Amino acid sequence: MAEVQPTRMELIKLRRRIAMATRGHSLLKMKRDGLIMEFREILEEAKEVIGSMIEKYEKAQQKLALAIAVDGAMAVKAISLACCRVPPTFTIKRKSIMGVVVPVIKREKVRKRVIDRDYGVLSTTARIDEAVAAYEELIDAILEVAEIETTLRRLIEEIDRTKRRVNALEFRVIPNMEETARFITFKLEEMDRETIIKLKHLKAKMARREAEEARKAEAKAAA
Amino acid sequence: MLIGKNATWAYIVARTKVMKRKLIPKDEFRKLLNMDFNEIVRYLEETEYKKEIDELAYKYSGPRLLDYALYLNLSRTYNKIVRVSFGLAKELLTLYLRRWDIWNIINILRGKVANAPLEEIEETIVAAGEKDIEFYKNLMMKEPEEIVKAFEGTPYNEPLSKYGTVSISEIEDELYKIYYNEITKLKPAELSLKLFVDFVKMEVDIKNIKTILRLKVEDVPVEEIMDKIIPNGYELSVDEARKLAAMSWDELTKSLEGYWFWKGVEIEKEFSTIEVEFDKAWIEAIARKASNYPLSILPVLQYMVLKKVEIDNLRILGWGKWQNIPNEEIERQLVIV
Repeated sequence: MAEVQPTRMELIKLRRRIAMATRGHSLLKMKRDGLIMEFREILEEAKEVIGSMIEKYEKAQQKLALAIAVDGAMAVKAISLACCRVPPTFTIKRKSIMGVVVPVIKREKVRKRVIDRDYGVLSTTARIDEAVAAYEELIDAILEVAEIETTLRRLIEEIDRTKRRVNALEFRVIPNMEETARFITFKLEEMDRETIIKLKHLKAKMARREAEEARKAEAKAAA
Repeated sequence: MLIGKNATWAYIVARTKVMKRKLIPKDEFRKLLNMDFNEIVRYLEETEYKKEIDELAYKYSGPRLLDYALYLNLSRTYNKIVRVSFGLAKELLTLYLRRWDIWNIINILRGKVANAPLEEIEETIVAAGEKDIEFYKNLMMKEPEEIVKAFEGTPYNEPLSKYGTVSISEIEDELYKIYYNEITKLKPAELSLKLFVDFVKMEVDIKNIKTILRLKVEDVPVEEIMDKIIPNGYELSVDEARKLAAMSWDELTKSLEGYWFWKGVEIEKEFSTIEVEFDKAWIEAIARKASNYPLSILPVLQYMVLKKVEIDNLRILGWGKWQNIPNEEIERQLVIV
């Protein structure tokens, strides 16, 4: 406050800044509400996607247990290692939700044909196919969850940031500026009052001097 | 007293009939289905499997204990059958059990590919074939190239020598093809041999139709399906297999009506349940044939198949219960005839 120059120019500038901050505050509030609404929608979607991933995981575990029971633990182990040689490929693109950049994972074909998998068709049963297919579906679901989880995390970060900005504007920046404006107004009014008093004093002084001069002139004329 | 050709079979059939009585009855599986994992193991401790479970309990626990105990029991049972048989029966059974040699070779190679510890590879060995456990213990210590050398001069050498140049899946399939070819190309001069060859040919039919349908589901091209077909089936020749492989799914399922293995098979959502249906159809067919030829190799083979199915069912039950798989799903996977 001490550094503020209590001038009319400063007051005008400050009022402009207050108006801009108020406008920014309401815009940020709208952005925050919009982000929260978007977050809620994606949260519902995330719940579904995560639920489906858990289901797929349980199904994959069941299929794996059956495959181990029928085709043997070694077959499953060798097949799992053979399948691991080629990791799933995917590309990450970007999209914007209310200015928040979120990833879009474009999944390449994770699923392989039975014939392309590294295990014999004659020496295994369809339980292995089903277990492999269930795990391939699980990978797909994990990538989907990764995408939606990152989106949610980014949205939460942005909501948090926007909330902090709104609060800072609402409870600190705007009140501080308004107080400064009030201070400048008060100072300017005080300066006005001082000037008026000074003028009044001056006027009285001048009147007294004129009266003195008139009295002297009257006395001279009488002598 | 039985003399002549039937004497060979009478003894072994009588022995397997006694062993067959010890198989877990169908109704007991329904009871097992309602038990938890520990109750199943306790139940098995009161059956034929007690010895193997006790023997391995110090080393393993949970479904792995069940797994290895069941396989150990299976290999001992098969070895016992071969031991008590003689003459042509012994020869045929040894030939039939060579499939376990292939199982072991494949598991050793898979173990090498997976870099699995020797103990883990040893646990998968089912010494029910021609070679004993010591042979496989020595084999698994060797490098893949030395394993291939160990089979020089045998029919398995050709596919095994491709190790490193082709995928292991191709070698696996080739080994099984050689095994089935060796039996199905036999020219049966007498009824007992014909029954044996027909039995294996029926199994080839089942394997082939499973392969066709399994690959058809995935839209695999005809030529690639044909690469996996084992020749010399019982009703399903290579040409017929090619015709079926070229058909659409609906045409294919319609065309299968009339084949011996398509009785009562229902197309379900998951292919593994169709496989179970085929297995059931096969077991029923061999049961019918075995009752038509009571003094032949068929009752012995029937018992061997039923024993393997029992082991598989118990493994499915064990792993299923351990993984909390719903009873309905476990039941769908069981082959109960």
